[in-house]
Amino acid sequence: MNAWARFRRNRLALIGLALVLVLALSAALAPWIAPYDPARQSLFEKRAKPGAKYLLGADEFGRDILSRVIYGSRIALLVGLLSAIIAVGGGLVLGTLAGFIGGWLDSVMMRAIEILLAFPYLLLALAIVAALGNGAINTTIAVGVWGVPGVTRIVRGSVLVLRETEYVGAARALGAPVAALLRRHILPNVLPGLIVYATLFMANAILLEAALSFLGLGVQPPTASWGLMVSTGRDVLLIAPHVATVPGLAIMLAVLAFNLVGDGLRDALDPRLRGST
Amino acid sequence: MLTFLVRRLLLAVPVLLGVVFVVMLTIDLLPGDAVTLMLGEHATKDAVAALREHLGLDKPFAVRYLDYVSRVARGDLGRSIQQNRPVADELADAWPATLELTMAALVIATLLGIGAGVASAVWPNSLFDAGARLGSLFGLSMPIFWTGLVLIVIFSLWLNWLPVGGAGSLGHLVLPAITLALPSVAMVARMTRSAVLEVLREDYVRTARAKGLAERWVLGRHALRNAFIPILTLLGLQSGQLMGGAVLTETVFAWPGLGRMMVKAIFARDYILLQGAVLVFALAFVVINLLVDLSYGALDPRIGRQG
Amino acid sequence: MRSLASRGLVGVLVVALAATLAPSANAQKRGGTLTIVRPTDPVSLEPNLETTAPGAWVYFNILEGLLTLDDKMQVKPSLASSYEILSPTKVRFKLRPNIKFHDGTPFNAEAVRFTYDRALKGTPPARWASLAGSLDHAEVVDNLTVDIVTREPYGPILRTLAMYCMGIVSPAAVQKLGQDFSRAPVGTGPFKFVEWKTNTHVIIERNNDYWGDKALLDRVVFKVVPEEGARMIGLQTGDADMVLIPSPAQLPALRKDPKFAVHETTGIRVVFAGLHAGLPPLDDVRVRQALLHAVDRKAILDNIMEGSAGPAMGVLAPGVFGYKDMQLDKLYPFDRAKAKALLAQAGWTPGPDGILVKGGQRLSLSWLAARGRYPKDGEITEAIQAMFKEVGVEAKVQVLEWAAVFQQVRGNPLNHHMFTLGWVTSNADADYSLYPLFHSKQAPPAGWNTSRYVNPRVDTLVEQARRSLNQTEREKLYGEVQDILAKEPVWIPVYTTKEIVVTKASVKGFHIHPVEYNLALWKTWLDR
Repeated sequence: MNAWARFRRNRLALIGLALVLVLALSAALAPWIAPYDPARQSLFEKRAKPGAKYLLGADEFGRDILSRVIYGSRIALLVGLLSAIIAVGGGLVLGTLAGFIGGWLDSVMMRAIEILLAFPYLLLALAIVAALGNGAINTTIAVGVWGVPGVTRIVRGSVLVLRETEYVGAARALGAPVAALLRRHILPNVLPGLIVYATLFMANAILLEAALSFLGLGVQPPTASWGLMVSTGRDVLLIAPHVATVPGLAIMLAVLAFNLVGDGLRDALDPRLRGST
Repeated sequence: MLTFLVRRLLLAVPVLLGVVFVVMLTIDLLPGDAVTLMLGEHATKDAVAALREHLGLDKPFAVRYLDYVSRVARGDLGRSIQQNRPVADELADAWPATLELTMAALVIATLLGIGAGVASAVWPNSLFDAGARLGSLFGLSMPIFWTGLVLIVIFSLWLNWLPVGGAGSLGHLVLPAITLALPSVAMVARMTRSAVLEVLREDYVRTARAKGLAERWVLGRHALRNAFIPILTLLGLQSGQLMGGAVLTETVFAWPGLGRMMVKAIFARDYILLQGAVLVFALAFVVINLLVDLSYGALDPRIGRQG
Repeated sequence: MRSLASRGLVGVLVVALAATLAPSANAQKRGGTLTIVRPTDPVSLEPNLETTAPGAWVYFNILEGLLTLDDKMQVKPSLASSYEILSPTKVRFKLRPNIKFHDGTPFNAEAVRFTYDRALKGTPPARWASLAGSLDHAEVVDNLTVDIVTREPYGPILRTLAMYCMGIVSPAAVQKLGQDFSRAPVGTGPFKFVEWKTNTHVIIERNNDYWGDKALLDRVVFKVVPEEGARMIGLQTGDADMVLIPSPAQLPALRKDPKFAVHETTGIRVVFAGLHAGLPPLDDVRVRQALLHAVDRKAILDNIMEGSAGPAMGVLAPGVFGYKDMQLDKLYPFDRAKAKALLAQAGWTPGPDGILVKGGQRLSLSWLAARGRYPKDGEITEAIQAMFKEVGVEAKVQVLEWAAVFQQVRGNPLNHHMFTLGWVTSNADADYSLYPLFHSKQAPPAGWNTSRYVNPRVDTLVEQARRSLNQTEREKLYGEVQDILAKEPVWIPVYTTKEIVVTKASVKGFHIHPVEYNLALWKTWLDR
């Protein structure tokens, strides 16, 4: 049975996939499905409760929350996916190098990682924004770069263990080339945990982008980002909770979607690995 | 073993030097500087120049860096630019609070996370698994100030069981620790589930089961020990994140920790205070990484000493 | 034997005495601890290092100056019992006798001289030194007489000396504590310093040897609670008696609730959207006027500020000496048609996407703002951005952290058209605003004329007004300045702050002051 078939049998994973599709469609078709212009303000209708006119209510400027959530899916997908790709890509390469080659390279890299981990995240973001300017893409890069040390350490840890397993040892003794070792033995065992971590990382990424946007380093007004909507809705949390909670739930659904898909991928790919010796 | 420890601690020195270098350089390159920000509307050219000279901030980067490093080597962390107060005193005010909060959150995250993760792995895709997943994802996705304020409303305002904020008693610690721990619980739970599942399907586990060994024994001895390596790595990372990322929790609960202090220092470009705090974190990371690496060796003797 | 008359007199006296001693219905109660919550910790508790509110709120009760500003914005004697203007550059103050600092040392002219020398000539000088005009030094005449000398005639001298940061410090304490004085100030005020736990609280207690009316509270605890929501909850649960910087959105409900009292008054800070009058297309006064017409300031006040701020009538706040109502609402009412007409007059026509164009150029303005530096600064920027769009003006807003905005706004040249800023007239004298903000030689980094406004007549007027000691004449001169600024605006004033403090109903005797730094607690008492 191949991976796709196994995936298909996993109901939760399919639900996740469906949600991801909804998200993608939302982002792609935003101008056509959003009931209002997301930047259209109507100050005297501020914080309107969900109702007939504004299905999910209005924010502090009287802008329709539903429309902003729909448009916000674009930023969420960008931030979530791109930063995860940067973090995972970078971390995978560096972690594998460190774990597999070991020795002084590992030592140097781990010290560099320690420097990066101690480096205040806010400072990193400010630096990237100062260098590249603000906006969603640059904050995404900042978030992605911030994620690299963590992934590196996780990958390195796994690679260390796998390097010492019997079948890898045997394969090396038999003279298998490094590339094949990586591709057939090590990486497939590293990937499952990594996929799960990546999907969880996306939640963090979206929330970090929220904090940065709130400080003015991310999207600029009047662009809608779920994270920024939650951050600015914080002032009125006690009297108009829907302003912050609705985008928060959107974040949760997106994270859930990717997490379900991730777990499904992980479970689907797993049995195939055991047979690879 | 001893040589290993000594070698690792010596290696901490270049890390600390490196961190200070990068932080100082970055602050220099960012727009704005400490003196003009401090003087605010009173920042005339003369006032700025005079104050900069008085604080020694007009010297070139290399001079200031070496100056700072040599002073730290003698145990002097300098005085904060904003307050002109010894950095050591500022850190001493805030460090215990951060330690307390981080430890509490770590304990919660570990116990709840590993517990939920193991249970999810033992009954994958069950109702419990789905429930745990949803609950932990909720904790992960909702921003900290949202969960924090909601908890305050429930436990302080409605039930009046716990104080609104500040630090001091165990009661003050409960809500901030839970709030801070929630996102980590999700991470730890899901990663634990993944790692345990993987190991449960390994050959040697199948062999153990085939030999008729009790399920608990299988789980305990074999599965968890090897699953622990990525979990420990994650816990190491999470403890670092909990330390450094507690700013939002500290803000919502008025917890006087290092997180808020660092953010204020960054916005004020007070790099002397910032560096002091960063050194503390760097040292903490070195120690954490060291412990994690040591545990690799303890859990899986096949891994020789690394680094 | 006593006569009937003297017995009657004694009787009357006894009754009179009894009447004064008998508690009336609203008798003040002595004692208790007042807990105040506010967003940030002070940087320092001494005026030389700290001129912002978190520190000022505390040291305003510990230190006193020669003069003070009461809550009707009048200059009143404080540590000085009287003053006399000897010459355009010298004012003589007679000091009150028998006053002691909290450490027991005597308050005298030498202490005044010491304070001003330290502030103006110290290394480094006080933060406020550069904007104290030409204040030069203090001269001891005799033990209870001191002269304040300025380098040039300085019109705002009295209001400057009445500023919150002009407290007299104990020379003995400064010498003893050195740098630690900034964390444990010693003055003559109704309260004295007890303890400061960084980022947690500052505690002050009643000075029982105070020379004037003793304070009623035993202690005041200033706590740090950064989160607005948490502060408001603290008020409800009883963790706090008084909230500084409350949540505007909750005010309407609190005003109606008998368990709480909302104290508010118009403040002296104006928050505005500044226009760079030197950068096209804003160099055309018609464009600037059109922008003023495009903004619905009332909608912003009602829906974003929600009653937590007052309308901005001009570039100064009422209560500031020299203030004139520039009648902005009459001169530039919210009128989209008028805005569009003015822009058309200036040669701008609608382009394909609704944004106006002229000679191939879009009417696109770049706008710098910070978030959280002034109340709702990010929000009003976003609201005005939308309002501009309605008349065909595109505003590209860049929200940055305050350090970055500050750097750019103080820089030269400034490559942005607009910036969201606030300005508080710290000494409540028009000179503090009009000179650095509108004098042509005060463009950054020399001063704060961020709009790069140039008008020789205005230059002459503010220079003259600064050097004149005739307050009537000064008022006239400032009036003319504001008339000119009304005709060629370089600001879109959005609101005048309101000082708002929310307390539990049991907190009595608290009077809110228009100057945000003047948090006077010595008449406050607790009814419980």
